[in-house]
Amino acid sequence: MKRPLGTIAGARSGDKGGDANLGVWVRTDAAYEWLNRFLTTEKLKELLPEANEVSRYELKNLRALNFVLHGLLGDGVASSTRFDPQAKALGEWLRSREVEIPEELL
Amino acid sequence: MGADRAGVRGTAWGWPVIRIGNASGFYGDRLSAMREQLEGGHLDVLTGDYLAELTMLILGRDRMKDASLGYAKTFLRQMEDCLALALDRGVKIVVNAGGLNPEGLARKLSELNPAGLAGKIGYVTGDDLKERFPEALTANAYLGAWEIADCLNLGAQVVVTGRVTDASLVVGPAAAHFGWARDDWDRLAGATVAGHVLECGTQATGGNYSFFTEIDATRPGFPIAEIDEDGSAVITKHDGTGGAVTIDTVTAQLLYEIGAPEYLGPDVTTHFDTVRLQEHERGVRISGTKGSPPPDTLKVCLNTLGGFRNATTFVLTGLDVEAKAGLVEKQLQQAIGDEGLTWTLARTDQPDADTEEQASALLHVTIKTKDPKRAKGFSRAAIELALASYPGFHVTAPPADGTPFGVYKAAYVNRDEVSAKAVLL
Repeated sequence: MKRPLGTIAGARSGDKGGDANLGVWVRTDAAYEWLNRFLTTEKLKELLPEANEVSRYELKNLRALNFVLHGLLGDGVASSTRFDPQAKALGEWLRSREVEIPEELL
Repeated sequence: MGADRAGVRGTAWGWPVIRIGNASGFYGDRLSAMREQLEGGHLDVLTGDYLAELTMLILGRDRMKDASLGYAKTFLRQMEDCLALALDRGVKIVVNAGGLNPEGLARKLSELNPAGLAGKIGYVTGDDLKERFPEALTANAYLGAWEIADCLNLGAQVVVTGRVTDASLVVGPAAAHFGWARDDWDRLAGATVAGHVLECGTQATGGNYSFFTEIDATRPGFPIAEIDEDGSAVITKHDGTGGAVTIDTVTAQLLYEIGAPEYLGPDVTTHFDTVRLQEHERGVRISGTKGSPPPDTLKVCLNTLGGFRNATTFVLTGLDVEAKAGLVEKQLQQAIGDEGLTWTLARTDQPDADTEEQASALLHVTIKTKDPKRAKGFSRAAIELALASYPGFHVTAPPADGTPFGVYKAAYVNRDEVSAKAVLL
């Protein structure tokens, strides 16, 4: 079923120098199993086309994935000309993207 | 105090847990948080984080104007209000508000001169590496917890530091309280996780939280960590404060500003993939965290002046949005040249809209240049177009004179190149 990812996933994002970090988590083991399969680096780039080089880390104990979007913020917050120079709302942007979510997780 | 403490259990060794609060997540956070935390219930230690990468740059510019500045001035105001209260309640204060000038802040605090404070203000020094990086406006090594612990062991009631890792503000007091050793990796890692949860204040208690509609997020209370001798912790907040402490609010903050699961710090490498969260009657219990030795190098926060920037936003309303953007871009480029200009057209406009705002797109333009005159000239050039450009020309706010901007870089130095020190005033 096509729904915003944020229907079942929370997110928090921020800056580390010129990189942005984007943590995404879900609230059940079944949802994590799906998220971990679904939200690959390629899928993230597809959902956030402004991303270039991306690292992906699994935090199973937190039912979370953490992404680092390298270079998204240029030389860092004081210098960045991005609309959201500290990547504060990057996670909320991702949550608003519509994706195919299995019905039993909704 | 006895009543407040009821329900806070001791450890198997009979040590009581240490109850550490946070009253600031950044320079500019809720000024009244210090008083709220002191009056809201029992605490052993109250911490505050005032330093972000950007803040070091702001303080660097303060210091350029006046060498006696360079610390977080809002903390001094909080202490004018609350220092006597903290001493009265026996709550130790540990903050990184010293910024680029911890000694200067410590001296200012001693001028507040409440009864009994002589010899009880500690500060941590040695993080400033400007001599090693002369080209930088600010150069500060991220110090760790041990100099904070030293200050507390020497009897400090107030400890101010410069650049230490945010979590150190929590790890230092816990290490001093329990007498942890420098290779108690798991304990240090556990306290680091608690510190990471606390360091951004209300971001742990329902602030900036994806599922905010499920809680009352109107005025979240500031967080507290009850840390046990083994480094595990319960995250909680004072009774009667707003927001919430749940597995979800704590998870959100654990994911903030991290990279690989091996979280490198000056005192310990913390393995975030070992952290376990459980619901607890007073909030969320954090346990299971594994630690391992830290890297041989310390991270250094470098800020250099990158040049000058200026910006404005043109409002493009109604028809021909792309063509309107094209015209004003060409005009501004002709007036001041193309170099250093970045344009972004946000198509917030909707066709056939029934409000003027919804009919409008926003064209942002930023200039970054080494030449302050050119940054200033950008404003004049933009405004001179006011009667000579696209139909409906206006801007959201007129551009100002332009401001200097910093470039942040991380560097790494060997530990033996940094001599951190605890000093009592």
